[in-house]
Parts: sequence; structure tokens; C-alpha cells
Amino acid sequence: MGISGEDLMRAAAFLGAGISMGLGAIGPGVGEGFVGGKACEAIGRNPEEAGLLTRTMLVAQAVSESTGIYSLVVALLLIFVV
Amino acid sequence: MEEIGKVPHWILHFGNYQMVFDKETLIMTWIVMAFWVLFALLATRETKIIPNPLQSAAELLIGTWDELVKDSLNLTDRRYFPFVTTVFLLFWISNMLGVIPFLSEPTKDLNTPLSLGVMGFFVAHYSGIKFKGFKAYIKGYFEPIFFMMPLNIIGELAKVVSISFRLFGNIMGGSIIILVVSYLVYSLVLPPFLNAFFGLFVGTIQAFVFAMLTLVYISVQIR
Repeated sequence: MGISGEDLMRAAAFLGAGISMGLGAIGPGVGEGFVGGKACEAIGRNPEEAGLLTRTMLVAQAVSESTGIYSLVVALLLIFVV
Repeated sequence: MEEIGKVPHWILHFGNYQMVFDKETLIMTWIVMAFWVLFALLATRETKIIPNPLQSAAELLIGTWDELVKDSLNLTDRRYFPFVTTVFLLFWISNMLGVIPFLSEPTKDLNTPLSLGVMGFFVAHYSGIKFKGFKAYIKGYFEPIFFMMPLNIIGELAKVVSISFRLFGNIMGGSIIILVVSYLVYSLVLPPFLNAFFGLFVGTIQAFVFAMLTLVYISVQIR
């Protein structure tokens, strides 16, 4: 039983999905952790602004999350479409 | 595991052309709309100074968003408040719908977030033209130097892609993780916690973020 080109393509797609997700998750992880840490510091400095800071933190984290979501979409496309 | 890639269709024929509807998305969106219509009817049936629980829940929800919109837009009237709040309410229940058995999230289909993202884009740019005037609006693209214009246009278009793909990716990824883990552990112990995390927590956060980003895009355009 030999390995045909179809099998190679599937294998490459799965590998690509794994690499895309693994590398793409680094950036959002660092970014969201940084934003969360800074927000914690700011809340510790003036706790009465906690609501506003939490809101801003969530929006900023969502923005920094988008590259991770792109890599997720690419991985899903590689798994289910290719 | 087979149900991941399957899409149930309704197909309408017009002569040579055909329109394909995603059955699941349509029905689930109508369920969400029915929920909110029912909620609004029940909450406003008899409004009193001392409210019943449903009325106070509705007041809390609407009042919080009124404050939020007022804080970030600095307008005297409430012209963007209904749009932003409706986006939040629709996506909130949409994202949480997957927790209930036999129902699925309409936001799992890219068409739902993309259509509302495009809608937010047009609302933001129309209000930008209306508030700043056409000349100042066009001039905004040539900031800081004139050859940055293509980059600015691509940046504006990327906003639509990022806002809709973010919601779609979160909900779709969550539901796939729930499906795969449920399959691996034979639906024992773990699925309720996963549903609570991805359905309730992530769903609420993402709906909030979608509405807030729509609001931020509008406020960037009008000032």
C-alpha cells in the first residue's frame, strides 16, 4: 500500500492546522495576559474605577484576540475544507 | 462526530436561479426573536413605580446600555442606543442558545455575524459622513500623509472581517470543542462545565464585545 498524493495533501493540511493554531495562540496569549495584568494594576491603584477598567480591558482583550481567531479559522478551513 | 460539516438546507427555486437557506440558522434566529418579543411583552405588560422582577430586569439591562452608549458617544439624543442594544441582545441569547439541548447557536453560521458586522460598518460610515461632512470624511483617509490612503481603506475593511470572524470563531470553536470532548469522554462529567464556560461565559463576553466594538467604530467616525 503506497502513499498517494491525496494522503500527502490531507497530512499536510492537518499539520498546517496544528502549526497554525499552535503558533497563532502565542500572540493572543501574551497580549491578553499583558492587558489583564495592567488592568489589575490599575484597579489596585484606584478601585472605584473598576467597572470602567473592566469594560475597557474586555474590549482590548477582544481586539488582541482577533489574530488567534484568524488562526483558528484558518485551522478549521484546513481541517474541514481542504 | 459526523454532524460537524453538515448543513440542512431549504432551497427556493426561481426559474433558473435558486436561493439556499440554512434551515437551522433561520429557525434558531426566529426562536431568539420570539424570546425577546415575549420578554418585552411580559416585562412591559403592567409597568409600575414599584416594578415586578421582570420589569426590573428589563430596566437594569436597558439602563446599563443607555449609560454605556451615552458615555462613549457624548450625544444629547439616543439615536444609536436602539441599534447597539439590539445587537447585544440578539447575540447574547444567540450565543447562549447552544446550552439548551437540540438547539444550536445561529452565530455558528458566519452569515449572521457578517451581516450584522456589515450593517455596523455602514451605520458607522453613514454617520461619519453625516456628522463631519463629506469633505472631512474623505480627508480622514488621507491622514497623516496622502499615500497612506490604501492602508486606511484596507484597515476599515479589515474591521468588518475581524469583528465578524471573532464572534464566529469563538462560537464555532467552542461548539467544536464541546462536541469533540463530549465524544472523547462519552458525555460523562465534563460537558456541563464546558457548556457553562463556552455557552454562558464566552457567549456573554463576545456579545458584549461585538456591541461595544460597533459602538467604538461609530464613535471613532462621528468625532
